Amino acid sequence: MSDVILLLPFAALILINVLPRATRPAAWAIAAVVLAAQMAAVIVPPYWAFLDTIEKTVGFSLKLDRLTQLLVPTAGLAGLAAILVAQAGTATARTKLLFVNLLLIAIIGISGISMVQDLFTMYVFIEVTSVAAVILVVLRDGELSFEGAWKYLLLSAIASVLMLASLGMFLLTAGGVSFEEAASALSAGGAEAWVAAALFLSGLFLKSAMVPFHGWLADAYSEAPPAVSVFLAGIVTKASGVFALMRLAPAAFNGSGPGAMILLVVGAATAVVGAFLSLTQTDVKRMLAYSSISQMGYIVMALGGQPALALAAAAVHFFNHTVSKAQLFTNAAALERQLGTRDMDRMGGIGSRMPVTAGTSAVASLSVAGLPPLAGFWSKLLIVIALWRAGHVVFAVIAVLTSLVTLAYFLSLQRRVFFGTTPAEWSGIREAAIGYTLPALVLAAITVAVGLGFPFLLPILLGGGA
Amino acid sequence: MSTYTFLLPIAIPVAAGILTLLVPARARLAVSLLAVVATAAQLASAIWIFPMDGALSVAWLGYGIEASFRLTRFSAFIVVAIAGFSFLVTLYSTASMSKAPSTKPFFAWMLITAGLACGAVLADNLVLLVVFLGALLLTQFGMIAAGARRPYAVAIKAVVIVGLSDMCLMLGIMMAAHLAGTLSMSAMKLSLDGMGGIAFLLMAIGALGKAGAMPFHSWIPDAAREAPLPFMAILPASIEKLLGIYLLARVSLDLFTLVPGSWVSLTLMVIGAVTIVLAVMMALVQKDYKRLLSYHAISQVGYMVLGIGTALPIGIVGGIFHMINHAMYKSTLFLSGGAVERQAGTTDLSKLGGLARSMPVTAVCFIVAAASISGVPPFNGFFSKEMVYDAALESGWVFYAAALLGSLLTAASFLKLGHAAFFGRRAEPASGGTVPAVREAPLPMLVPMIVLAGLCVLFGVVNRIPLDGLIGPAVGAAVTGGRSFAGFPASQMLVGFTAAALLLAILNHWYGARRTGHGLGAVDHIHHAIFLEPVYSVAEQGRLDPYFIGRWVIGGISAALYAVDRAIDWVYETLAVTVAQGISRVGRRLHNGSVNRYVLWSLAGAAAVVITAALVLGGSR
Repeated sequence: MSDVILLLPFAALILINVLPRATRPAAWAIAAVVLAAQMAAVIVPPYWAFLDTIEKTVGFSLKLDRLTQLLVPTAGLAGLAAILVAQAGTATARTKLLFVNLLLIAIIGISGISMVQDLFTMYVFIEVTSVAAVILVVLRDGELSFEGAWKYLLLSAIASVLMLASLGMFLLTAGGVSFEEAASALSAGGAEAWVAAALFLSGLFLKSAMVPFHGWLADAYSEAPPAVSVFLAGIVTKASGVFALMRLAPAAFNGSGPGAMILLVVGAATAVVGAFLSLTQTDVKRMLAYSSISQMGYIVMALGGQPALALAAAAVHFFNHTVSKAQLFTNAAALERQLGTRDMDRMGGIGSRMPVTAGTSAVASLSVAGLPPLAGFWSKLLIVIALWRAGHVVFAVIAVLTSLVTLAYFLSLQRRVFFGTTPAEWSGIREAAIGYTLPALVLAAITVAVGLGFPFLLPILLGGGA
Repeated sequence: MSTYTFLLPIAIPVAAGILTLLVPARARLAVSLLAVVATAAQLASAIWIFPMDGALSVAWLGYGIEASFRLTRFSAFIVVAIAGFSFLVTLYSTASMSKAPSTKPFFAWMLITAGLACGAVLADNLVLLVVFLGALLLTQFGMIAAGARRPYAVAIKAVVIVGLSDMCLMLGIMMAAHLAGTLSMSAMKLSLDGMGGIAFLLMAIGALGKAGAMPFHSWIPDAAREAPLPFMAILPASIEKLLGIYLLARVSLDLFTLVPGSWVSLTLMVIGAVTIVLAVMMALVQKDYKRLLSYHAISQVGYMVLGIGTALPIGIVGGIFHMINHAMYKSTLFLSGGAVERQAGTTDLSKLGGLARSMPVTAVCFIVAAASISGVPPFNGFFSKEMVYDAALESGWVFYAAALLGSLLTAASFLKLGHAAFFGRRAEPASGGTVPAVREAPLPMLVPMIVLAGLCVLFGVVNRIPLDGLIGPAVGAAVTGGRSFAGFPASQMLVGFTAAALLLAILNHWYGARRTGHGLGAVDHIHHAIFLEPVYSVAEQGRLDPYFIGRWVIGGISAALYAVDRAIDWVYETLAVTVAQGISRVGRRLHNGSVNRYVLWSLAGAAAVVITAALVLGGSR
């Protein structure tokens, strides 16, 4: 079954490229349908039996579980939003086709990450995702800008080296690279096993842009085309870094010991540094990029908390943040499209001109800052409780205080961009096209719905979150 | 007669007051007529219900809070007195207010005040009492504001001071109710030890605040300067004294049992003695008719508080007797002041003089009332003061000395006032020209004065009427022990001392008037005595006024708290923002886009993670 989930986007990829040229303008629609089908396949159980019969013919060591059910639909949402933005914001047919192709490749990688059960397969799928992502960053209509992509590529390469070295050490010391083998080697307490684990962790930290491995992210995010930013910030970095940690941490560290402490320290440092760096940015996308770093720090920090609750907290925050950040980058894309700039110092009073963008941006901002009753409030609350229950009071306090800084920079963004009087320069500005507003509205609606319905969702989450 | 009959003295004036508010302001005659008729009806109903006994209880808020009223000998007596004063002062006001720009608000507030005051007297539930007192606070504000030139400062001051004492009363009521388990005044009987003593003092403060004893007095002289004169005659001179002393007597006699020699008794006596002496000292040096009277309105409360505070039968009866006497002569005095103000156009004593010839009726009434307040036999004030002296001497010679000193200075100040206003020669106006002719006040103003002055004589000469007919039954045989205090004072010695004090006052006046050549300067040698002058000058500037000291202290606290608040605000608004932005800027400078730097950071981070993992593990092994 899990293979089918993997093969669906692969099939789509082949399909859009072998069909006659005349069908290429519809490639985005095929990709969108495939994504929807994939999401449905993961969520709706009746398909599973059907899929299982197909799986028996092929044999990967993949497993579909609740984390898969979290990641694939989340990735699907971000992917759909990115496709819509790309359709609205990309000029040439060739670029559109390339975008859909690369997006599907990345989705294959992400789908794989969602189901892996061993370190080597995880590494492979992370690399698949990263290759597609690096190319996406340079995918512009006209001029080419390599700096962001170059940094991304270089640091990804370092991550690859670290992870490969780790894999070698695990093969030597633990005799295998499956999660069980790695976990038993770690609990046996071999120093070599721990060094190997630390190397793999460092690789994942690099992929997820934890401090101090975060240098590449802001450049890559802000230089990427608008649609790519939505996809990249929404899911790619999270899937190949944070989600991999979510898969690995409970299996390998079981939420305690030095592994947990490393996660706590790195996560807290990331949350704090990212938030402070956001505070004085003037570029909308850069501010959102640092905000992403900060929020991913939260998720990693949560993983160091009380095991049962930690994974649920991390999973919910993962989902909420993907939805909100994909939406904020969609808003940023709309702003860049309509105004031709991302410089917040030049903006002001845009809210009366672009009410949908302004309103949805407010919802997402407040959610990420953790204001009740929006979705982000609940997940931050869960994170704080998970940390508190595990006895990490200091980290719980850091989590709460950092959300103050988060609120500060989001309010500052909202005020500088949307509030106040409209300068003459922007008096002719109109609301962005439906390709921008529809995803923004849908994602904001999800944020509100999850927030209001959270008390009903919580028992389901805790029932099988871990 | 229904069970509600005895509530008529409350209902009639309140209804009339509300009706007055509906009458057009231009119909001044209708307003005056309505007020006179309503207060006459109130008086008639009060006299009608006087011999009755009544009790009424209606479920109200629950938790023992009921709308319960009770008519007793005591409350009936006070209700008649309140209704009588309301009627006389209203009658007087119809003439004295004839030059005021608007009379409607004043009469409306006054009618409602008269009704609410009866309500407070008839209330048997302590919460109901507080409700009436609170409402009186509002009408008092309205009355001051309706006529004053700078209304709000004084009106607010009065509300703050009386409100503060009402708050003490509420605290006391809460404690008493907790101790007694009931809010009914007629069912309450507490001892004075421990918490009971504190509850008593708090309730007594409420009563004293109403009566205007020190230190709750300072709004009265200000009101005398600003508020319309009938206000002074009706509230600080009569109704508030009646209410406050009634309350003090009820608290001391019924709710608690005040024991002679107890610490609360001593506290009350000290308050009384201090009030007598300090207020009369201030009265002595006043140069304005109304202001001088207002300080006496404070000073005389001291006698009542001292009398009741002794807890001796003669003191209690004397204190209550003094209360009703004071209401009479002080109203007369204020009304005479109002007549002078209206006819001569000023109450500044330095511009008055020789009015006895042109205003003979007013002058006679003034002399009767002044003799009464100074304690000259056979007027009523003499008899009540002698009773208080008797009780004071028994409690301690200091208290007697203070009371006697107060008497002496009272006499001296009224000699000065009478001399300056009604005798001597009127001063030429500073602008030159002749002194304008002054005529006697109109009849509606004279009648109340004559009636009250007559009562002063009656209650003195035939003091059986008030003592055996009103006060004896009011306080009951439990207090009097069946004794009668009527007739001439028993102690020849005390009368002798009183006579000596009066003589001394006359001598002092003769000396002072001769020294300066006019009546107004009769006490200048006291005013400007070496050790008193600086004290007087500070007091005259209001710097000893507890209200302003309180405001100064509160202002200081407020300023200090504001400074703290600003400091905290600075931490949030400036410090936190500056620090956060500083950190952010440093971070931005470190992120200069150099890929070498980012690679270096990453490798260092990876090294740190690996080393940490290895070291931590090494430690745990």
